[in-house]
Amino acid sequence: MTVIARTRSNWAARSRQERLALRLLLPVFGTVVVIATVPFLLALVDATTNDAGNFVGPANFVRALSNPLLYESIKQTGLYAAIVLPSEILIGLGLSLLVHRTVRSPVLRAVIYVAAMIPIVIPQIAVGVVFRLVFAPDYGILNILLGSTGRGQILWLSSPPLAMLATATVDIWQWTPFVYLVLFAGFQTVPSEAVEAAQVDGATSWTQFRHIELPYLRPLLLLVLFFRIADVLRVFDAVYVLTGGGPGTTTQFLSLYMYRVGFKFSDLGEASALAVVVMVAMTIFYTLINRFIPADRR
Amino acid sequence: MRLHKWLAMLVPIALLASACSTTTTSGTKKLTIAAVQGVEDAGLKALWPMYTAKTGVQIDIVEAPYADLYSKLVNAFKANDATYDLIMMDDPWMPKFGTDGSLSDLGALGITKDPDIAQVVWDVGTWPPPRGPVPPSEKSKPQQLLGVTIVGNVEMFMYRSDLTPTAPATYDDVLNNAKAQNKPPVAGYLVRGKATNPVTADFLPILWSFGGDVFDDNWNVVFDNDKSKAAIKFLVEDLKGVAQSDPGSSDAADRDRLMAIGQGYQSSVWPGEIAGAVLDPKVTQVAGKVAFIPIPKGPSGKGVGMMGNWLLGVPKASKNQQAAADFIKWMLQADTQKTYAQNAGIPSRTSILNDPELGKANVYFPVLAQALQAPPNWRPRTDQWNAVETIIGTHLNAALTGQETADDVATKASAEIRTLMKGAGYPTQ
Repeated sequence: MTVIARTRSNWAARSRQERLALRLLLPVFGTVVVIATVPFLLALVDATTNDAGNFVGPANFVRALSNPLLYESIKQTGLYAAIVLPSEILIGLGLSLLVHRTVRSPVLRAVIYVAAMIPIVIPQIAVGVVFRLVFAPDYGILNILLGSTGRGQILWLSSPPLAMLATATVDIWQWTPFVYLVLFAGFQTVPSEAVEAAQVDGATSWTQFRHIELPYLRPLLLLVLFFRIADVLRVFDAVYVLTGGGPGTTTQFLSLYMYRVGFKFSDLGEASALAVVVMVAMTIFYTLINRFIPADRR
Repeated sequence: MRLHKWLAMLVPIALLASACSTTTTSGTKKLTIAAVQGVEDAGLKALWPMYTAKTGVQIDIVEAPYADLYSKLVNAFKANDATYDLIMMDDPWMPKFGTDGSLSDLGALGITKDPDIAQVVWDVGTWPPPRGPVPPSEKSKPQQLLGVTIVGNVEMFMYRSDLTPTAPATYDDVLNNAKAQNKPPVAGYLVRGKATNPVTADFLPILWSFGGDVFDDNWNVVFDNDKSKAAIKFLVEDLKGVAQSDPGSSDAADRDRLMAIGQGYQSSVWPGEIAGAVLDPKVTQVAGKVAFIPIPKGPSGKGVGMMGNWLLGVPKASKNQQAAADFIKWMLQADTQKTYAQNAGIPSRTSILNDPELGKANVYFPVLAQALQAPPNWRPRTDQWNAVETIIGTHLNAALTGQETADDVATKASAEIRTLMKGAGYPTQ
């Protein structure tokens, strides 16, 4: 009763504009609650109950965190992220800078834009199927091309280091265009006056990029990093089709491991516990990034 | 005024809801089938317009790839979701859905056994299983028919009969022929060795034919006994030695492609693969050059094929139970099965499989009929099978890619399976 009364008095104390703003935000809050908060709470319920629905406390968490395969999958995911994230961001940045500086024709820019969209809109499962054909040892295009230079067969998908590299290459092929598109849009926001003034002052291309363009791109780079980290944690379809997590468990990334626990081992409690742990860990990680990067750099 | 406003809102919503509803007082208008995407549901897709024309019941087929379909069904059953009236399920999924009580008893819905369909086809859809070890939690349950086969899949063996006219009778013959025919780019044996389900599915007939197994009749793990070890060694050393260059990443589609371009001499094969890989002259270079036989005999003196039947079941949550069962009955009729076979479906009726006219276009039909009568083995009937298969398939793949030895596979996989089964309440030793 007291809480309701206090809420009412707080609501009344707000200005008319504040109340309007809160009302306008209500649909957004509602959407977030439905698509994020409710599933999270359901996962939390699954993570703390057994198949019969009885409360089991932290048992599912203990089981999830004591499985050595979890740490192996985290290691593989980290390695995968260490390959794909820098590659995608550096190549995407380089491409966007190149097109921004050298391509002036709006038609050509539109053509590049459409070309960059193609990998992004292809379903991951189809990408996996296509790249299986590319990497196939006996009739795959890559080995046929290598064979024409006199090299022998390379087992892209069944040699542990190469399988990691092959799955990473597919990710880089599909998602570098996304980085390109976002950063290219960022380059368009750099005021031409600032660039022209720097050029008049004799700034080199590198100085121009480092001190004028890069500060404008920083929030977008952070955004790209956030999106790509989330995507790396969810990568599934293409890897499942390409290697099925093999050879052995070399490409059994976190998402594949969670699928294995939830749907192969039919342990939805442990899988939900893992999902909750990943969600909490990523929330902390994102909060720390936000906290430690100064506001003017975001 | 306010009442009018409410009515103005509610009336269209009510009309929309009634239009979307699948059931009316006059009967079922629509059945939704969850199906696996691929050759397995080709016949089903070809048949449904006939059913709609006959009964007026619309059929909506919701397709999903293999792994997606399983996770969708698990989630739907957990949520008691009534979206699907019928589901296609791979036979190793049946123990999980049977144990969870997610499916309706088809016997109670009027589906009765037909002697023209092999007994094993009915047995594989029955839960708890009528033969072999029964999971401890299921022993007191009455047997019910929970699924009916619509894709009569039994693993068989294929070889290039233009290169060696005599069929291999034993796995010794298989290996000897493979060594003789292994002349790159032609591989003496095509191993399906991709991690988890693919490699396990194609290894089990070898394991059983060697006299090995995963469990004995009391759920004790025997995957590390001498016979099982010999079978593992045969796959990861002997057959690998005469296989294509990358057996560890090969799935069924890769095997089919290699066979179709003439770069494979022999392999095990599922009926669903055959049409594209070796029969259709538009896509294969080996049409008329490949023969089919049941699985060759191993050191046990038996050649044991494996079932991979796709079944149709009715979820308990479906609001259209009887209509769904009526559709299954129609699917099983002899004339429907004949049309089904003519449209890329793989039938289970013995008379259809032995029909000489159909056999001309589908040369493997008589072998499939023979394989169903054998009878073939099914994968151990436990709701833990997916996990067991994943453990075995991960280690076999590791061995095929040079990360483990045959002994490692037997030892490590057995230890993991024992832990798993004990944790699930089995009296496993």
